[in-house]
Amino acid sequence: MSRRRSFQLALLLGPAVALVGLLFLFPLFGVMKQSLFSPGFTLESFAKLVNSPVAAIVMRRTFVLALTVTALCCVLGYPLAYFLATMSKRWRAFFLYLILLPFWISVLIRTYTWMVLLGREGLVNNALMGLGITDGPVQMLFTGFAVHLAMVQILLPIVILTCFASMVEIDPQLVRAARTLGATPFKAFARVFFPMSIGGAAAGAIICFILSLGFYVTPALLGGRRNIMLANLIDFEVHQTLNWSFASALALVLLAATLVLLGLFRLVAPERRLHG
Amino acid sequence: MTSISRRRFAVGIAAAGPVALLASALFAGPAAAQVTITVNGSGGGLAQTITRIYEEPFTKETGIKVRATAPVSLPKLKAMVESGNVEWDMTELGGSDVIEATKHGWLQPVDWKVVDPDGKLPDIAKRPNAMVTSSFSTVLAYRTDKFPAGKGPKNWADFWNVKAFPGPRALQNSPVGNLEFALLADGVAPDKLYPLDVERAFKKLDQIKDKVTVWWTTGAQHVQLLVDGEVVMTSVWNGRITPLRREGRPVAITYGGGSLQLSYWGIPKGAKHPKEAMLYMRTRLDPEKGERFVSEVPYPGFVPGLIERLKPEVARDLPIHPDNVAMQFRFDPEWWASQRAPLTERWNAWLLQ
Repeated sequence: MSRRRSFQLALLLGPAVALVGLLFLFPLFGVMKQSLFSPGFTLESFAKLVNSPVAAIVMRRTFVLALTVTALCCVLGYPLAYFLATMSKRWRAFFLYLILLPFWISVLIRTYTWMVLLGREGLVNNALMGLGITDGPVQMLFTGFAVHLAMVQILLPIVILTCFASMVEIDPQLVRAARTLGATPFKAFARVFFPMSIGGAAAGAIICFILSLGFYVTPALLGGRRNIMLANLIDFEVHQTLNWSFASALALVLLAATLVLLGLFRLVAPERRLHG
Repeated sequence: MTSISRRRFAVGIAAAGPVALLASALFAGPAAAQVTITVNGSGGGLAQTITRIYEEPFTKETGIKVRATAPVSLPKLKAMVESGNVEWDMTELGGSDVIEATKHGWLQPVDWKVVDPDGKLPDIAKRPNAMVTSSFSTVLAYRTDKFPAGKGPKNWADFWNVKAFPGPRALQNSPVGNLEFALLADGVAPDKLYPLDVERAFKKLDQIKDKVTVWWTTGAQHVQLLVDGEVVMTSVWNGRITPLRREGRPVAITYGGGSLQLSYWGIPKGAKHPKEAMLYMRTRLDPEKGERFVSEVPYPGFVPGLIERLKPEVARDLPIHPDNVAMQFRFDPEWWASQRAPLTERWNAWLLQ
């Protein structure tokens, strides 16, 4: 790399690096410090991480919830992306727009919309009772069901779009070639198309999982007493118990999990998409 | 503004006269007009009432502007004082907040010679570093349309009685107050609550746990839950229900087993305008303003001469009305200050199971 080129790079990257350093890395360092000093050096918060039954339950439930949401998003998103990738360009633009429309609406608004729909006197319950399917209102709001439903709805576009991006790059001639060579439609899909699209799907799943891990507002508003995630526990430690070093330790667990997953992402994501 | 309230407004200005005199003596010169104090409170509709009744007349009298912020937050106070970057000149605080803040030295002493020079405030309203601004109660509220007329729940034993009073319920996501309610429901006498029998309280809470669909965290939330019909009864802060009743919503409260609490104003250590904050604190001693405030929001302070001025129907709705006091218990912030951390931990674990 020439000197001139590296100067240009520094100039271009400088503002972004300064911004990230100042607004992200510096406070992050503060969080790390908070978890280890209180005020003298202590590992008390990390010991509590291991000993506290609450932290153990919340961490387990956070990972299980993120995993089920990711699985649901993949099962629903992969076929949808396949459907998009194989349709005519005109219809594709229309359906992509339909998928992106909710994606552009704030997570908070989408969460509140679910409250309106799922409430005891909400749209769904009124319809169920009006049609005589149930006698009384069904408790859907403030349950794990509501949290799963809303999180899948919020994260599904991300999985669809990542899967779709890898699928449109697959040359359709290859599947056709497999068919002319005698493969059944299923075999052509399973042996040719699927292996080529799995990288995109895995990347989508990891992004979905990472985003799920940090969910805060949706479980807080739609969940019941059992649907507490790590982010909610951090909030509780900051605001209710004022135990900021424990909150910092919890935040670092979340960060570590995310970093590990990002490493995994680099392994599975096709090289070319990482570098443009 | 009606003619009556305009007249009262004039009386209010006259009553605030001594404050103005003192202010002009302390802050003679054009510089006085530049001061803006930041007063932190609970926000919402309440903040608008405070602006109209207290802040605007104060600015008119003294030239000191008041900037209101929200919400009340002990962690924010902690962060401000510890970082030395104190934005608030004064903040609202709950009873156990004051104890905690005092323990850590986050508040500075109040100069009672400035705030209450004639010694009119009763001792209960004064702490070395905080003044009582209002009293409120955490009470049982319910939907009147979900029960036969006049047959709504009357106390916490009824809240626990899911056979006679069916329907989903809500409680605050905190052990504070709920342990007391559980013990009252279990038959403990209101004056024998403290020190709390924690084991007995959690045992009683086990019985209601699955009937409580929501564990609320904010005042706005419990109001919404009742209005939307998500629950038929919940614990609430009494003042939040008054505006709903004025709107004609089918909600009511009972003071039976209510938790009578005090709310304070304190000045953070390192506040930039403590003197001006104390002058503003003093406006809360004005009985005429107090009367107008309490007529809109049922959170009375210990303003000397206030109760005598109130209409009987307004007074009857207040948490400190003798009939209501008799039905409630006096919340003990001292007991909670030492127990809060371990019990909150236990509460969290209990909720997750």
